Amino acid sequence: MSAKFLFPLLLVCFSFKVISQDKPCTKEEIIESYCSSDKFHKAHTLVSSKKLEEAYVLINQLLDEADTNNDSQLRIYSLLLEADLHYQNKSFQKSLATYMKCLNSIQLNQDIKFYTLLNIGFINAFGLSDYEKGVDYFLRAQNLITDESCLTKKTLLYSALGHVNMISGKYSDSENYYLESLNLNLSNNQINEVAGIYNNLGNLYFEQYQDQKAKTFFLKALNTFKIKDSTNINLRQQFNYNLFAVNEALGNYKEAIGYLEKSNTLRDSIWNRDKVWEIADLSKKIALDKKENELRVLEAENKAKEAQRNAVFASALVLLALLGVSIYFYREKVKTNKIITSQNEELDKLNATKDKLFSIVSHDLRSSVNALKSSNRALVNNLETKNIEKLDELLNTNSSIVNGAYNLLDNLLNWAMLQTKQTYFHIEEHRLFTLVEHVVFNYQGLFAEKEIKFQNSVSKKDKILADQESLKIIIRNLMDNAIKFSQAKDSISVYSQVEDENYIQLVIEDSGLGMSETKRLELLKETSLLSKKENENIIGTGLGIQLCKSMIKKNNGKFSIESQLGKGTKMIVSLPKASENG
Amino acid sequence: MDKINVLVVEDTPSESDALITSLEANNFNVVGLATNFKDAISLYNSTNPDVLIVDIFLNGLPEGINVAEVISVSIDNAKPFVFLTSSTDRQIFERAKLTKPFSYLLKPFNELELFYAIEMALEKFYEQKDVFLGDGEDTVITEDYLFIKKGRALKKVLIKDIIYIEVEDKYCNIITEKEKFVINISLVKISKLLNPNQFFRTHRRCIVNVEKVEQIILSDNLILLSGGLKADLSDNYREILQRVKTL
Repeated sequence: MSAKFLFPLLLVCFSFKVISQDKPCTKEEIIESYCSSDKFHKAHTLVSSKKLEEAYVLINQLLDEADTNNDSQLRIYSLLLEADLHYQNKSFQKSLATYMKCLNSIQLNQDIKFYTLLNIGFINAFGLSDYEKGVDYFLRAQNLITDESCLTKKTLLYSALGHVNMISGKYSDSENYYLESLNLNLSNNQINEVAGIYNNLGNLYFEQYQDQKAKTFFLKALNTFKIKDSTNINLRQQFNYNLFAVNEALGNYKEAIGYLEKSNTLRDSIWNRDKVWEIADLSKKIALDKKENELRVLEAENKAKEAQRNAVFASALVLLALLGVSIYFYREKVKTNKIITSQNEELDKLNATKDKLFSIVSHDLRSSVNALKSSNRALVNNLETKNIEKLDELLNTNSSIVNGAYNLLDNLLNWAMLQTKQTYFHIEEHRLFTLVEHVVFNYQGLFAEKEIKFQNSVSKKDKILADQESLKIIIRNLMDNAIKFSQAKDSISVYSQVEDENYIQLVIEDSGLGMSETKRLELLKETSLLSKKENENIIGTGLGIQLCKSMIKKNNGKFSIESQLGKGTKMIVSLPKASENG
Repeated sequence: MDKINVLVVEDTPSESDALITSLEANNFNVVGLATNFKDAISLYNSTNPDVLIVDIFLNGLPEGINVAEVISVSIDNAKPFVFLTSSTDRQIFERAKLTKPFSYLLKPFNELELFYAIEMALEKFYEQKDVFLGDGEDTVITEDYLFIKKGRALKKVLIKDIIYIEVEDKYCNIITEKEKFVINISLVKISKLLNPNQFFRTHRRCIVNVEKVEQIILSDNLILLSGGLKADLSDNYREILQRVKTL
């Protein structure tokens, strides 16, 4: 029987239809409207798209969840999914058992109950071929149908009843159900359903060998579609095939061949359409991939750009920091350069002074040593001629030359020590008188020789704060000067006088040659060296005075000169007073 | 009065010769000459000098400072000393300064400077500042001696030889068994520095060494001292009676 294979097709056909109503009506819609979680939704989608194994795992998880949370609704819906899954897997017994579990659940709403009963009917009737039982369940389902029940439910139920009756040979019952369904759908203008029912009716009559009537219904079914397009192509192909079958039975072979051809063409085009869809899907997929790739590329580009921007930003920061640092260092450098320049200038000056000093000192030393040499030669000559009287005089000359040279060297050494700050320098309280006495003690011979009257009238009470050795060097140099610029029978006196409450003046006064104002000022200038020899026999480097000034400064003292040409000179050293009771 | 004993630590013969000559010419008694650290220490221990003159550089090394360090740590027998040096090298001086009291003499030096340095050493060591150099006084009093400046030189008198001291205005007559001389020192200072268990005021103008007392005649307010000397005893100063058996 050619018509038998149509049933599964019809069932599939029903599951395809989409009726849009505000209230969920189909089983799919009801389940979807429940959708408590993503997981459930996923399970539902998997069942619908026939990915049964994956769905099964999820459903089991959902059932566990429902048990642990005591969620009866979730349990029911999950059971529905499971049953559906088993049904699709053609495990009819399992499906049936699951539906029964579902049916026995307490909080079962009318919709679920209806579909459960309906599906049990389906399984009994079409899966297990137990028509009686199937009809039984369908009728129980029918009891749930009210006037408000949605069209889909009714259509499904009546179609099922029609089918089952037709299969079990109760043709008139079957016809009644089909007609009722047809009526419903016609009044609701459901073209696909109407066409399906016409086709079913055709099948029904075909079963009863009312071939002419069957042909009419098949044609009717085919002609229901005013627009013949891809949405109804499956049905049309089916209808054409049925028409071929019925015409064949009627003996209208020509017509039958026409329908068969038509059916084949449609099948080809279905196949093509599927193919086209596949291709379309494929190209869509490719396009998607492409888009995704593009996206990825864009993303990568974005990332790269971002990275680039970050890099630029970072390098800008680094550059800025570098700039800051370099500016800082540049400034520092400029500063140090300034300092270095000034230091250099100072050094140059000092160096020039030193060079000059060297030339003068070496000149003086050279002349001293030379004088000693010639004096020695004279000494030797006189010794040979036994001119004893002359010897004493020459020896005295030698001694004074050596003394002068020694003083010069001493000053030189002291100068060097002062410059390098290597010397011990410790300011203490001293009695001025004692220090003067100590220094002057060495000049006794010289005073006698030059017939100079000397007097130390420094007060024994005057105590000053100074470094002992440097103060002695100062006094020694000033004494040297005083003696140097004094002539026979001149007098030199050293005395102290109170300058103010903080200072005591030590005055070294001679009645010697004196000096001009310019020379006086020159001597008081800082870092000046004298090489002019105003007084023929007197060596004057100015080194002594220079040393004095430096050392007085270091002892926190002051220095001044008073002088009149031809009348004498006063060298005045002011030194800090020691506190009275200290 | 005795001469001051000086120990010289100096390695250069010409310098030590000059030094010793000028010391002896001025009535100092040079008890020894050491040329190295070891000799210096052994001479120091054997000769009991009153003052040391130490050259910082001995044989090219600053061993003189070591000598000073050793003698300045021997608390019971420390003595004043004078450093001799030919350079004012700061580092050496910084080290020498640690051996307080610190007095130094820079070469070349003259006699005045030499005696001044010795005087400074004594003043600093016995912590009696401004004695020899000032106008007023000329005596440093130690536990055992009076160091008295006489002209340029110094003399010492063993304190236990003093029989009594007669105080005049700003000076004192020191009377020993052998001699009698005047020192410039105030009464306040001398009574502060002399051992109070040995010297007692017996009169407004008289300080007596209790060890030299032979007899006190209270009825006459008279103290008979060794060597046939006498001192007055005033009613206001009778502390001495607690230390002397009265007749």
